[in-house]
Amino acid sequence: MSSNNETIGKTLGVVVGLCLVCAIVVSFAAVQLRPLQQANKIEDVQRNILAAAGFKDVENVSQKYSQVIDARVVDLKSGEFVDTDPNSFDFTMTKFDAERSFAVPKEDDLAGVLRMTHESPVYLAKGSNGQVESVILPVQGYGLWGIMYGFIALELDTKTIKAINFYQHGETAGLGGEIQNPKWTATWEGKQLPVDIVKGTAGNDIHKVDGLSGATLTSNGVDNTFKFWTGDKAFGPFLAKVREGALN
Amino acid sequence: MANAKEMKEVLLGPVFANNPIALQVLGICSALAVTSSLKNALIMSLALTVVTAFSSLFISLIRNHIPSSVRIIVQMTIIASLVIVVDQTLQAFVYATAKELTVFVGLIITNCIVMGRAEAYAMKSPPLMSFLDGIGNGLGYSVVLITIGFVRELFGAGALFGVEILPLVADGGWYQPMGLLIMPFSSFFLVGFFIWVLRTYKKDQVEAKA
Repeated sequence: MSSNNETIGKTLGVVVGLCLVCAIVVSFAAVQLRPLQQANKIEDVQRNILAAAGFKDVENVSQKYSQVIDARVVDLKSGEFVDTDPNSFDFTMTKFDAERSFAVPKEDDLAGVLRMTHESPVYLAKGSNGQVESVILPVQGYGLWGIMYGFIALELDTKTIKAINFYQHGETAGLGGEIQNPKWTATWEGKQLPVDIVKGTAGNDIHKVDGLSGATLTSNGVDNTFKFWTGDKAFGPFLAKVREGALN
Repeated sequence: MANAKEMKEVLLGPVFANNPIALQVLGICSALAVTSSLKNALIMSLALTVVTAFSSLFISLIRNHIPSSVRIIVQMTIIASLVIVVDQTLQAFVYATAKELTVFVGLIITNCIVMGRAEAYAMKSPPLMSFLDGIGNGLGYSVVLITIGFVRELFGAGALFGVEILPLVADGGWYQPMGLLIMPFSSFFLVGFFIWVLRTYKKDQVEAKA
């Protein structure tokens, strides 16, 4: 290495030049790949909605999704359907949009979501005869390390759980991360709201599910998440309408 | 120009003789975190090999112009840019795996192998040899990761690449999976065994007793 590398001018030149080149490379990659990444993200959400509806390992996700899922938007307070485009929701971002969301009062904020949207998408899963068979609600709540994002599918009685599915979380792999374990999510199927998460004593009780061992705080988070989103402050009014037959 | 023998030495040396994980004990953290399934281990190995190879190449290309006062920052910038590109590519083309690898792709930036090779080799060697050295060290890392991923997925989940090999008791088969192997710390034992076997076979790697 020659000593003239060490002058201030050369040092600045190398650093600035390198930063420019790296910035161009990184932004080029980010911009070029963004459409593909977004398509992946949408497909991932659709795949998880399908999984909650009971369609697992689907080959052509977007095709199946358009066949069996009817995405609608409900006003959470009134429980009525509104005309908002369901595709305009980004579950991580929209709740920070000041016009579309509000801060949840602390005493109501069981799931630790801090903010929530005034309206929310719901997904109606249709059976083979075109009749709506289950409603799938997007839920989110604070686990141990961060917000967990998932779906809960309910039968039309709005009490019986058809499936639960978490698709994004930051819980500890092998412990809290087991909320994605199909064996655990299967234990929710057929249970009736309200469900309590208990420690190893659930048995066949339809209102109890065994928590995950080694993941008490994550289990509590899941418990709070479902209680909050199926409760009065969230989807409660909508579920009441469904019970009255709003979907028939 | 380097001769063929030297190139082969640089490329294949790190696989067993001078393995970055087993001998240099670099880059252990990611070896623990991403090896619960073979597919994750494979993608992670590929990502690391690409980053090590290209960062060594680019650093070597400009090695005569890097002021030594800022050389670590220059190396980091190149490595970080490459890692972002790799991360973005994974998210675009293998989204499901990228989601499972989560932060560990980003953490390649801090993987000691990449930095170690840049500082120890690429700063003083010509571009082609640095590139090969990067690939070689990436391969060395891959060998360990894939071995561990193989053992963990086969005995921890009874499968390879998600395809069932040993029918599980839970699904009506005979194999009771070793839950221990699914937990990240089991990789410590496996890395330990790997080093043990390697040093029994290559005695010169055993450290001299103080």
